[in-house]
Formats: sequence, structure tokens, C-alpha cells
Amino acid sequence: MSQPRSSYAVGTGLFIVLGFAALAYLATQTSSVANVHQGDSYVVDAQFTNIGQLKERAPVKIAGVRVGQVQSITLRADHDVADVKLSIDKGYDHIPLDSVATIFTSGLLGDQYVGIEYGSSKQAVAAGGTLARTKSTQPLEEMLGKFFGAGGVVDNVGGSYAVKAGFSNVGTLSAGAPVKMAGVVIGSVQSVHADPVKLNAQVVLSIDKRYNAIPDDSSAAVFTSGLIGSQYVAIQPGGSPEMLKDGDEMILTQSAMQLEDLIGKFLVNGSPSDKKDAGNGSK
Amino acid sequence: MNVRAPQPNNVVSQSLAQIGNCGLFLLTLLAAIPRSFRYVRETIRQLWFVGAMSLTIIMVCGLFVGMVLMLQLYHVLSIFGGTSASGMVVALSVYRELGPVVTALLFAGRAGTAVTAEIGLMRATDQIDAMEMMAVDPIAYVATPRFLAGLIAMPLLCCVFCAMAIFGGHLVGVTWLGVDNGTFWSNMTAQVDVHTDIVNGVLLKSLAFGAVVSLIAVFQGFTTPPTSEGVAYATTRTVVASSIAILALDFVLTAFLM
Amino acid sequence: MTQPVRATPDDATLVRVRGLTTVLGGKTIFDALDLDIPRGKITSIMGPSGTGKTTLLKHITGQMRADAGSIHVDGQDVAGLSREQLYKLREGVGYLFQNSALLTDFDVFENVAFPLRQHTKLPEVLIRDLVLMKLQAVGLRGAARLMPNELSGGMARRVALARAIVFDPQLILYDEPFVGLDPVALNQVLKLILTLNQTLGITSVLVSHELAAVQQIADHVILLAKGKVVAQGDPKTIADDGSPWTRQFFGGEADGPIPFRYPAGDYAAELGFAGAAK
Repeated sequence: MSQPRSSYAVGTGLFIVLGFAALAYLATQTSSVANVHQGDSYVVDAQFTNIGQLKERAPVKIAGVRVGQVQSITLRADHDVADVKLSIDKGYDHIPLDSVATIFTSGLLGDQYVGIEYGSSKQAVAAGGTLARTKSTQPLEEMLGKFFGAGGVVDNVGGSYAVKAGFSNVGTLSAGAPVKMAGVVIGSVQSVHADPVKLNAQVVLSIDKRYNAIPDDSSAAVFTSGLIGSQYVAIQPGGSPEMLKDGDEMILTQSAMQLEDLIGKFLVNGSPSDKKDAGNGSK
Repeated sequence: MNVRAPQPNNVVSQSLAQIGNCGLFLLTLLAAIPRSFRYVRETIRQLWFVGAMSLTIIMVCGLFVGMVLMLQLYHVLSIFGGTSASGMVVALSVYRELGPVVTALLFAGRAGTAVTAEIGLMRATDQIDAMEMMAVDPIAYVATPRFLAGLIAMPLLCCVFCAMAIFGGHLVGVTWLGVDNGTFWSNMTAQVDVHTDIVNGVLLKSLAFGAVVSLIAVFQGFTTPPTSEGVAYATTRTVVASSIAILALDFVLTAFLM
Repeated sequence: MTQPVRATPDDATLVRVRGLTTVLGGKTIFDALDLDIPRGKITSIMGPSGTGKTTLLKHITGQMRADAGSIHVDGQDVAGLSREQLYKLREGVGYLFQNSALLTDFDVFENVAFPLRQHTKLPEVLIRDLVLMKLQAVGLRGAARLMPNELSGGMARRVALARAIVFDPQLILYDEPFVGLDPVALNQVLKLILTLNQTLGITSVLVSHELAAVQQIADHVILLAKGKVVAQGDPKTIADDGSPWTRQFFGGEADGPIPFRYPAGDYAAELGFAGAAK
């Protein structure tokens, strides 16, 4: 007897199977299964001068194949380098000691990942070891700048006040934007206002007290996170024995590049519109 | 079983009293779980009513949510030339927000009201008292199986909803609008994280929503005055209270999980 | 299985109520009520609406707790029982609800089988036979596969009765079993109650307003009013005992010890004729 009971049980069973099938579909077909489980792994250190947009749990790849993930990113208080811990699958334990770790971007807009290119050493890096050879991420402006030969150009704006920096063009930089060194946030923009006399933008940076060992000839640059991201101030350390103190002004600054100008230059090299370019020409 | 809410006067203390009684009711429900093990068949039967019977509406709505989302995103993203990311955005927004929330709202409307009305009617026709008299604990036999069934059904329904939404998005994006099939999937698989999106987004959220909706539905059924107006009123209240609870809880969970 | 409650057969009283006091919503329902329900008899509890006859039944089954006093069913104090003991006790007590209270999810057969399935692990064949026997007893074996919403009021009442007796209880409580039945259905239920009592010796407690019906079958009538027993005895003598309560109740007079008017303030004053008082 009990016809209805058994049909409920069968129907409910089908429902549960369907639900789990959908879950399996979501987990396997719409996401990478490699993200699922972190099996046995070992940790390798790598130091970068700029990590860009690299985030924790970003993939670590060899020859484009995922072998692990970024475990943690910290800024060393005494150096201006980012300490990145890479958690790599136990299966790939023959990475040569002199391999190069590079931060790559998947496409123009994609997320960043750490790529490892094998070196030639016979010795493999051990757990807890360090990959000494690294290549940092390149901010887009820098790359484009290098491409156009404008990479080293910095604005030399005079003045000697406070913890501030003058830019001839801040782009869309606004108060509250991050200040980064080696890609790691070390402070924020306190205020941005135009100087009525010098006719440039005065930016006051408030930098975390922990980072008090920044050489006073370091340069400040306005960069953009990716192509359409928000802007931030990047500090590139100099070599002076004197350190920046409260109230100092950073002398070497590099203004925001206008993407339109760059692309314009690229397309019509030396077009008349260049003359109107206020931001990049050296004075 | 007479679960009777005291009736304070003003709206605020009334709502607070409702929440308090609801919390106490949850404890009663949980305490009855060991006793309701012998009614596994009843839980399965409720899983059929609450889960399997909601499947059609969930699948149809999931399909259309995925389709319309793709349509909207395609037109926005084509401004930036980023249509290859549309599959990924559909997947992420469905997994993180739309899937659990829309499933829960539909679940409250389809299954929650049915549970409230059924229990209210059982009370109005003395069936609950009759169970007491037949030495069957109505909390363990009526309330807990429905609560558990809702708890189990919601994540499963949500998975089905999400799968249908992806299917709908694929249908519109790839088949109709001409997004490349390979990019559609590869962008999606590259960005969807099993932990943050599927476990935290789909499963955890829908589990929490399932618990809240089932609790409210069963509670309203048990505390409503056993009259026809009482049942009608309680059914409405189930939908209103569930919807508010789902959206508020969604905010809290998102803040915690993201 | 036939004797779930420990019996002391020599005790002529199955249910003994002593000093029962219940206050519900500020209204005193029972005021130190004492009553005895004799074993093996049909006892009818009568009284005006709102005297708490249904409440009394719920006290007997332990669904409601009294504010004071004690109720002993077959020697056990209902108030002192744990949930498990109470449920054990209830397996030996049948209860027929005013509106039958059949489980709408199940058909007639499953409704009657419900207590058996919940409390026993009997093989399916045995459950089938037991259920069909009970359905045959109430004359509805042919309706086994109907759903409750396909039944008439009288049939639903009889199915509920079959369900109440499926464990062969020693006590059945009937809460208004005749309400809303046509004369034919009423007589069918009446006959069943009498048969069950006479053939199985089931103690029956009947809450009803149907005087004629009660006088036909009841062995003992208890008249409740204002929280107390105002009269009791066998139906013949109680009808003629001449007390104002019985005269009003059995004579059906509108006014008497049971007031026609709900207690209220001074009528003239409430209508605003303040001058009339002067």
C-alpha cells in the first residue's frame, strides 16, 4: 500500500539529486576547480618593489598553469619592498632556486598573478626559502611612458613646504586616494588644491609614521590603477641618505598622464595637439 | 499545543514581542529535533511539498533572471567594449546576491505561505490538538519537519536557480547576442571563486535564508488565531516578515562574508 | 496493547477531580470543582455555554494545566506526569473533537492508521486488518480511500470515532459529538457511542447539549454552572429533582439562575438618564 508515500520519496529523491547536480555544475563548470582545494603546499618568499593590484589568493602560475596561490602580502617596515608569500602545491617542488617570479596582468583589465619562470640552477627552492630574482608589476603609465620615451620625465616644481608635493596635473586624484610605495598602501592624500600663484596642484600627503625612512629625494607620481581604475600617488624611493621629515616637500613629482594624450601621441606622432600638453613636458 | 503571544499595545513593543516569541519558538523547534528523528518520513514528505513543488517557479524565474541580466549587462558593457566579461558578471551577481535573495523571496511566497496556511488551518480544525491527543507531539511532527525541510530545500533550490540563470545568460549572451562561447566560460571560470562565491554566496546565504523563512512561516502558522481571518492575516505576515528579514539579513551576511 | 493504562478494576471511579480551580483571562472557569466519573458508564456533562465543559476535557487529558486542584485518571495524577508519561496516558484515552479534526493530508484509512503508525511497529498486514476492523465498526469500510474533504459531517465524525478507538482505549471523551448532524447521522453516532460502551465497556464522557440524545444513552448526568457541579444523578431523577438549575436547563427557560443578561452597570445611568436616579 501507501502509494503516495513512496512517490513522495521518489520525487523528493529526484529533487535532492537535481539540487546536488546543480551544485556540482556550479562548482565545476562555472568556476575553476583548482580554486577549490588547497592541498599540501609549501611556502616560498618573494620580494617585489611593486605588487600593483596583486591580491591575496591570486594564482601562482608556471608556464600559465596554476600551481598555487598568494598566501599573504606584507610591506616590510624597514625596506620599501613588498614581502609576498607564495603557497605552492607540493607536487611542484623542483622549482630552481634562480627562477624569476614576475607579477603579470591577465590582459589589460584582468587580475594580476605571479608567474614563475624557471631558472637553470640544479638546486630547487626549499620550503620557507626565497626566490631572490623577481620582476615587479609595471604601472601602466610607466610602461606607456617608457614606450614613448617619457618614462624618466619628472616635473621639477620648486617650493619647500610641509609633507606635500606639487603636480602640474593631478588628473582625477582626490582627497582620500591612497598613497602607495611598492604597490602597498602607506598613506592617503589629505588634500588637493590649486596653488593660485604657481598655477599647479598642491597635494598634501599623509604618510603612515611607520614608513619614516623614505629618502628625501624620492619622487611622487600620480598613477592610475589599471585602465579605468581610480588614481593614486605612488612614491618611488630615491637614494639620498636624508629622510623625509614632517613638513618637507617632495621635489620630484610626476604628474598624471592623460591617456588621450598618450594614445594621441602613439597614433599621430608629433601631432599639433602635443603643444597643448601641459603635463608631461620637461621644464 | 498552545503557543500564545502576549499582546502589548504599541507597534514597537508588539514587533519586539513577535521577534522574542519567534526566538523562543526557534529554541522549541531545535529542542524537538531529536524527537522528530522518528518522523523522518514526514520530513521527506515536507521536502517534497516545500522543495520539489517549488522547483518549477524557481527554474522559470532563474532562467528569466539570467536572461534579463545578460541583456542589460551586454548593453552596458558594450559601451566599454567589455562584453566578454558579461558571462562572468552574470555569474558573480547571481551567485553573490540575486540567486540567494530572489530564491528566498520566491520561496517565502511559494512555500512559506503554504506552510503558514496549512498549519493555521490545522490549528483552526483542531488537527494540532488531535495530534496532542493521539500522543503525537505537534512540534516534533508538524513544526520541526517543515523547518528542516525548508532548511534543506533552500540551498538546493538556490543551486538550481543559479544553474538556470547561467543557462539563461548563456542562451541570451552566446546564442542570441553573439558573445564568444569560449570567452563566456573562461572569464567566468577565471573569476568565480568556489569559496567566496559558491560556498559563501550560494550555499551559506541560502541556508541562512532558508532557516529564517521556514522559522517565520512555521511560527506564524502556530501563533495565528485559529480562525479564517487569522490564517489569511498570518499568510500575509509571513511574506512581509520574511521579505524584510531576508533583505536585512542579506546586508548583514554580505558585510560579514565579503 | 489493549490495557495500556495500569488499572485498579475494583475502583469504580475512573476520573476523580478534586478542588479544580482554573482562571482564564481573569475569568474564573472552575471554582474548587469536585466530580467523579464512574468507570464503564456513559457520563454526560451538561451546562450552559461558556461553563468550561471543553476546558474540563482538556484538563483531563493534560492539554491544559489547572491553577489549583488535582485530577486523577485511573489513579494517576495528570498534573504530575512528564511529557512521556502523559503521552503514554493519552494512548489509553480517545478524544472526539467537535469538528472531527481529521488530518487533511491523509485519506480515511491513513487517518485511522495514524496512531498505530506513530506508536507501534506493527507489520503492514496487521495495521491494515486493525484499521479495516475499526472502519467496519463505524460502517465506513467502503470509504477507506476517500479524502476527508469528500466526507459528510456525519461520516467525518464516524471516521474520527474509528480513529479514537483504534487503540481500544478505556476512556473516550466526546466533545459535542452531535453538533451539526442531521437526525439520521445523529442517531448513527448515538448508536455507536452506546455500542462501544456496551460491547467494549469503554468509559464515555459526553459533552453535549442534545437533551433528548443524552437522556437516551447517558447513565449519569453532571450539570455544571458557575464553575461548580450544581446537580448530578441519572437522567431520569435529575430532570425531576426540582432545583432551579435543572428546571431552567431541562425546561429551557430563558431566564433563571443562568441570567439572560450579561452583568452590566445601571441601565438608566448608562443611557444618560442621570435625572432618573435622583
